[in-house]
Amino acid sequence: MSDHDELESSVAAWVLGALEAGEADLVRTHIEECASCRETVMRLTRAIGALPLDVAEITPPAGLRERILIAAAASPDTATATARTRFDTKEPRRTLGPTNLSSHRPSTMAVFAAVAAVVLALVVGLAAGDLIGRGTTASPTVVRSALVGHQGLAGARASVINLKGDGVALVDFSGLPQLDPGRVYEVWLITAAGRADPAGVFVPDSNGSKFVLVSKSLAGYTQMAITSEVGPSGAPAPTQNPELYGNLT
Amino acid sequence: MGSEAPRGLADADLVAKLVAGNHEALGELYDRYGGLAYAVALRVLGDPGRAEDAVQEAFVKIWNHAASFDARRGSLRTWLLASVRNRSVDYLRGRGAHERQELELQPAMAEAGPRSDPWHEVSLSLERSAVREAMSSLPAEQRHAVELAYFGGYSQREIADMTRVPLGTVKGRMRLGLEKLSSYLQGRGLVDV
Repeated sequence: MSDHDELESSVAAWVLGALEAGEADLVRTHIEECASCRETVMRLTRAIGALPLDVAEITPPAGLRERILIAAAASPDTATATARTRFDTKEPRRTLGPTNLSSHRPSTMAVFAAVAAVVLALVVGLAAGDLIGRGTTASPTVVRSALVGHQGLAGARASVINLKGDGVALVDFSGLPQLDPGRVYEVWLITAAGRADPAGVFVPDSNGSKFVLVSKSLAGYTQMAITSEVGPSGAPAPTQNPELYGNLT
Repeated sequence: MGSEAPRGLADADLVAKLVAGNHEALGELYDRYGGLAYAVALRVLGDPGRAEDAVQEAFVKIWNHAASFDARRGSLRTWLLASVRNRSVDYLRGRGAHERQELELQPAMAEAGPRSDPWHEVSLSLERSAVREAMSSLPAEQRHAVELAYFGGYSQREIADMTRVPLGTVKGRMRLGLEKLSSYLQGRGLVDV
C-alpha cells in the first residue's frame, strides 16, 4: 500500500475525529496537499454534519437558555465589544425609578432604617467579610458580585452580573424558600447613604431559583438586597429586614 | 430595546445579529437548536450536568466567533452541533478544548449555498427523518463503527480493540458508512444537513 493509500484509508477516521493526535497531523498534512483526499473530506463531511440529526431531540433543562445568555453576556468578548446591544429576557420584571422616601408611608421608615443598618454593618465589617459582596472584576464592563443569605434565607445565594456598558444587571438566585401565596421577592438597590430603591419583583421556580434582569444601571448603588413583599407589584420601600444581601463591586 | 426580533431569520441574518451582539439572536439560535444540541451532548456524555456545560460552551463559542461563520461552508446548525459534539467528546476524554483541532470552525466544506429557510422547523423534521432512514439503511457494523467514533468519541484503534476486528476493517467500515450516508443524503438533495 502506498503512502497515499495508507493515508487515504484514514480520511474517514480523520473526519470523524477518530485518529490519535500524531496520526491526525499526518492525515491533515496530506489532505492539504492532496486534491483527491480533499474532495473525499468534503463529501464525507456532509455525512458527518448529518449525524447529530439521528439523535432524538430532548427538551433541555429549564434555565439552560438563561444560563447560556448570561454566560455569553459575561464572556470576555462581550465585555470588550463595542458594538454590543442590550438584551432582554423573558423574565417577568418591574422596573421602578428612584424612590422618594419622603413619600413613603411612615411604617416603612423603620424598615428602611434596618436596611441602612445593614449598609452600615457592611461598611464597618460587622457582617463579616467571608459572607458578603466579594465580587471580582471580570473586565472593565462586566462586574460580578455575590449576595449571601442570612437568618431565614441562610441557604439562599445570588450572583450579580453587572453589565455596566448596557446599564443592566443579571441576578442568578438559588436556594430561595418558596413564598406564601400572594407574596413576591423584591430586589432593592441601596445607595451609600442608605436609600433603598426598588428594582423589580420575582417569584422563584419550584427549585428556589430564578434569573432576574435588573434593567437599570447599578451606578450609584453600593448594595443589593432582597425582601419578601406583597405581590404582585411589591412595595415602594422594604417592609422587613433584608435577609439576602451583598455589596455591589 | 429597539432591536428587531430575530424570529425566522435565515442563517446569514441571524449570524449578522450575533456578530452585532444581539442577545436575542442567541436566544433564537437556542430556541431553534437547543433541544437538539442538548440531545447530542447527552448522547455523548450520558450526564445531564456535563451535557449542559458542553451545550453552554458551544453556544458561547458561536457567540464569540460568529464573525468567522461562512455560510458557503455549511449551515449554522451544522457548526453549532459539531461544536456541541466536539465539546462533549472533549469532556468525555478529559481533553481541553484547546487540544482539539478546530475543525468545527470550518464545518462542512460543502458547496451548498446559504439557506434562506423560514421553514426551518419543517425542514429540520424532514432532514431528521431522512438521516434516520439513511442511518438505518447502513449495515449494522458500519453504523456501529461510525456511531462509536462520533458519539462515543473512540479512536479507530480503540474501536478495533473493542470490536476485536482488524484496524483496516474498522477504517473500511467507517469509510463505507460515511460514503453511503453521504450518497443517500445527496440523492435527496440534502447536501448540507
